[in-house]
Amino acid sequence: MTSPPDAVVIGRSLDEPETFGVIYDRHAATLLRFLGRRVGAGVAEGLVGELFRIAFERRKTFDGSRASALPWLYGIGSNLLLKHRRGEARRLRASARMAAGREPTERRTSAAALDARVLFPRVAGAIEALPDGEREALLLFAWEELSYQSMAEVLELPIGTVRSRLNRARAHLRELLKRDGKNRERSR
Amino acid sequence: MKPVDLVRKLRREAAVKPAALDRGRAVLMAAIREEVQPMRRPTIVPRLPYEDVGAALSFLERAFGFREVSAARGVRADGAIDHTMVEFGDGMIGLGAQGAHGAFSPKRAGTASQYITVHVDDIDTHHQRALASGAEIVSRLHDHLRDYRVYEALDLEGHRWRFLQWLRQVPHSERR
Repeated sequence: MTSPPDAVVIGRSLDEPETFGVIYDRHAATLLRFLGRRVGAGVAEGLVGELFRIAFERRKTFDGSRASALPWLYGIGSNLLLKHRRGEARRLRASARMAAGREPTERRTSAAALDARVLFPRVAGAIEALPDGEREALLLFAWEELSYQSMAEVLELPIGTVRSRLNRARAHLRELLKRDGKNRERSR
Repeated sequence: MKPVDLVRKLRREAAVKPAALDRGRAVLMAAIREEVQPMRRPTIVPRLPYEDVGAALSFLERAFGFREVSAARGVRADGAIDHTMVEFGDGMIGLGAQGAHGAFSPKRAGTASQYITVHVDDIDTHHQRALASGAEIVSRLHDHLRDYRVYEALDLEGHRWRFLQWLRQVPHSERR
């Protein structure tokens, strides 16, 4: 027996609310990992229940033509994360230090490794500096590896808009990295 | 390196603990229960402060036959119960961590500032159950005139409970 798609389960949960537990069992681990990548395991633990509570309360608004509820759940999670910008920024900076430290040891003294130590904090700073919508699109693409179609569902935007937002994020990022680099050179 | 590849390098996994998933599930289930059977909200709800709300709850369930209103349960980050509600008949009472809202458990305060009367259908059975569960009886079970049967007991932290069963309808003119 194949299990019914999310849309069917959610439809059923309108009359039998307990059925919504199936949606949790299917997707909670994925969403917990998503939230954890962004704000760390501790905060994510508190958010995942909240995310599904909101989803449950809004289940009437789920578009039944979508087979998977995952993008819709990502969308609710993204909105929750907006209230945790400071924690996100902290984690991003810590990740930058770790990424810099991951450079191969034999290259520790080389120019490339030195670059890593300034490069990654600069990348973190640039991600932080992006407008909310662009940062969200960029991280859904780069970290969650969502398709354009899924991202369109998460962000509730036409697919073309998602594409252009992502391009804007890329351009912004390139520009922020360049500008920050120049400022550093000038201040030396 | 392309900007997106640089961003990918900052991707970091966070540990996923099964306990975290259980806690999230409990939050969802409370919301579901609340919809299936909305919590009653009486006009007046007294709240009792406890040092250990979890222990107080299981004692009140065991000794006095109260039932938790699970949708009302609030849990702290360490998993301990911060507050919840119990119901009995058509009555409802809150249990909460002491210190919040300026209220303290008699265990710490040394004295209680109130007692609570609960009307029960079968006082003898109720009394037996309380005794068997180790409740401290501070006023033995007895008949008050021929009007009602009553006893008083302390819970784990010294809150005083008065259980009584009316034996007959007493006209107001006869009440003493």
